[in-house]
Amino acid sequence: MISKKPGSLLAIGSLLCLSSAVAILHGRPVLASAQEPELHSQPPEKGRQPDRSHIFLGLGREPDAAAAKRGDVLYQQNCQACHGTRARGGIGPNLVRSVLVLHDDQGEEIGAFLKEGRPQNGMPSFAQLTDAQRYDIAEYLHMEIELAANRGLYKHSGEMTSGNVEKGKQFFAAQCASCHSTTGDLAGIGSKFSQPAAMLARIAWPDTRGPRKATVTTPDGKQMTGVLEHYDDFETALKTSDGSTMTWPTDSVKVAIPDPLQGHRALLPKYTDDDLHNLTRYLLTVK
Amino acid sequence: MKRPSLRTFAQLTAVAVLSSSALLAQRTSSTPAGLSPNALQLFHQPPDTWPTYNGDYSGQRFSAIKQITQQNIKDLKIKWKSKITGIPPLRGSGPLIIKSTPLMVNGVLYFTIPDHVFAVDARTGKEKWRFNFEDQGGHVLGQRGVGMYGKWIYFLTPDGWFISLDSETGKERWRKKVADEKLQYFTTMAAVIVKNHVIIGIGGDAMDVPGYLEARDPETGEMQWRWWSEPQKMGDPGSETWPNLQSMRHGGGMTWLPGTYDPELNLLYWGTGNTNPVFAGQGRKGANLYTDSIVALNPDTGKMVWYFQGSPHDTHDWDNVETPVLFDMEVDGKPRKLLAQAARCGYFFVLDRTNGKYLISKPFTKTADWSKGIDDRGQPIPDPDKEPKVDGSMVDVASNGATNWPPPSYSPQTKLFYVNATEGYSVAYLYDTSPEPEGYGGGSSGAFDTHSSLIALDVLTGDVKWKHVPKGRGAEGGGMSGGILTTVADLLFTGDSDRLAAFDAATGKIVWSQKLDGHVSNGPSTWTLDNKQNIIVGVGDSLYALTLGGN
Repeated sequence: MISKKPGSLLAIGSLLCLSSAVAILHGRPVLASAQEPELHSQPPEKGRQPDRSHIFLGLGREPDAAAAKRGDVLYQQNCQACHGTRARGGIGPNLVRSVLVLHDDQGEEIGAFLKEGRPQNGMPSFAQLTDAQRYDIAEYLHMEIELAANRGLYKHSGEMTSGNVEKGKQFFAAQCASCHSTTGDLAGIGSKFSQPAAMLARIAWPDTRGPRKATVTTPDGKQMTGVLEHYDDFETALKTSDGSTMTWPTDSVKVAIPDPLQGHRALLPKYTDDDLHNLTRYLLTVK
Repeated sequence: MKRPSLRTFAQLTAVAVLSSSALLAQRTSSTPAGLSPNALQLFHQPPDTWPTYNGDYSGQRFSAIKQITQQNIKDLKIKWKSKITGIPPLRGSGPLIIKSTPLMVNGVLYFTIPDHVFAVDARTGKEKWRFNFEDQGGHVLGQRGVGMYGKWIYFLTPDGWFISLDSETGKERWRKKVADEKLQYFTTMAAVIVKNHVIIGIGGDAMDVPGYLEARDPETGEMQWRWWSEPQKMGDPGSETWPNLQSMRHGGGMTWLPGTYDPELNLLYWGTGNTNPVFAGQGRKGANLYTDSIVALNPDTGKMVWYFQGSPHDTHDWDNVETPVLFDMEVDGKPRKLLAQAARCGYFFVLDRTNGKYLISKPFTKTADWSKGIDDRGQPIPDPDKEPKVDGSMVDVASNGATNWPPPSYSPQTKLFYVNATEGYSVAYLYDTSPEPEGYGGGSSGAFDTHSSLIALDVLTGDVKWKHVPKGRGAEGGGMSGGILTTVADLLFTGDSDRLAAFDAATGKIVWSQKLDGHVSNGPSTWTLDNKQNIIVGVGDSLYALTLGGN
């Protein structure tokens, strides 16, 4: 049910973020959460898998998918006229938000309720169904709850509803072409980032978050170039091409880090959503 | 439900709080084991105690203890480290992380992680007792700590149990169910004690349940009142901000961080969380009161006195629960009773806490471009064009908000409000386009040009007085973390990279740091024991105490 293919970045992201606050960075979602965000600078936890959102959220037993599928058919035949096609309510109550349904564990409450009905309230008895069928309907409802409550299962359709290729092309020519070319560095970009949200992220902030190159000027004026192994307000560690690592107190050195994203940074406050959608549309066509 | 004898006791207590220091001293000396009711005050923390989540009722996290100064801080060293052992990683959330601020009472520290309470000797860090709980559901990502009333501890579990423990033994006195985990409520906050009320809030996002705040009897755990985050029926004040009863009764507004209290005004200040469904607002057109608001309640009745909505018609998951910090200040020659909040939606608010009227309402990171400015009450006006879209809508506020739960600080000495912030851009997506969506209905992604920063805000103007952007990022190790503590010695303690750092509160210069085993994960606190000022800070599964000389 949970795709781990790059194509469903958004699904994985929103799940992991267990909240909303997903940051997608080239396929590596940064964990964060609505009410309990990770600390600003903590690296993503290794080994945290999408299917753990169910466990994390404390959703209890996972619904029986096969039974839910059978129950879906039964539900559509017997229940949807009053409770809506996806149990969100109609002339009858919303069952996904029903306290009775939410308190049911494995059909014991829902099954008994269906058997009796509540005729005085207009809810007929479904005594004609078998126990197994009532169980299947209960599982269908639990699956609908799972799909609403477990944001780890949320999926974006992957389809765009807006954006204009021609306008995107114009924007690209005016704002991007001084650094990028759709026949050069961005050739085939539409195939590499075929999912619109991934493409948008690629356009807006193509940061690899990988190790950064830097030139360190030491207290005695010596300049050394390498890759930053550690860098914070207190300590700077640079790995040089010969494989050795040098460490200094940060306040004793000058650290120059090339900023290849300067152009992107300058564009961020200028984009309208239309600009981003147009650009996304356009670059998706660059196959 | 209210016990008259306790009310009388509470009134006596209230009188005592306001009476002379001589009387205070007398009462304190005759107080039996546990926390003296006098310990809880508006702007003063007893030096030998940290009696409540924020240290005092104001939420300033400003300490008058001045043993540690900018001059001698070079000698500040780790005295002990207390690591939680014997507990496996938490269900679905992994490593143990101390987010609670430990209470310190009579030489004992009380702190928590989800499902567990610990009492450790404040002199040595040695464990005295622990209370283990086995939950039956609910989120386990955070626990803010305990509340204390006399000798009794109050603790909330992921699945909505409100438990009273004996502070001397850790033995359970009783438990009461206060939230239904089957409806996806959970409880993580540190109870706030106000007179004879234990104030508790709740969390929950997934099933579109309504938020509430409760007062419970400290002796019996019985409910005294419950305030709902939404009006209860159409026609009630605020219901005009909802299209119908169904959306209003499923509107969210969780109360998951401890609020603040002004004993003189007898007003409780609380932030409410995001509106539900979280990212899909099409089924709940309107401002959606009283979600994403600061509300002032009477703690004896639970009746709302005023409100200020920080993020009207929220569609970005911007819980407005961040600490409403109380302070007094002269403005234009007149003494004023004020309240300040750096809100997750990116606005800094300064309000008159007697009536909720605003003095400042201004973005504190970038421009908060999800809003089109402010209305005549100072509340941001949401831009409909910046609501989540199927193809994404970018805002200049980071995914988790401009700030979040880690406690801020206010120093009456510098008159600056300090907050650890996140600056950057994010994109909000709408998944559920149906007329009546449910659950989250969408999500936020992207961390475009995002970094953390420590920001000092002038409370008279809302302008940034100074800002510290830490060097480095992500795997390199840089970044601000945890909450903030300021002291009368103009020291500001917070997490920077894998260290506890002290800044000059006036200028933002780093004056000291101590490497720890990871990122600061809670709000630092301070108290004095055996004439030694201690700084207490949590880093993941460990608690550290630091003193001058480390002894």
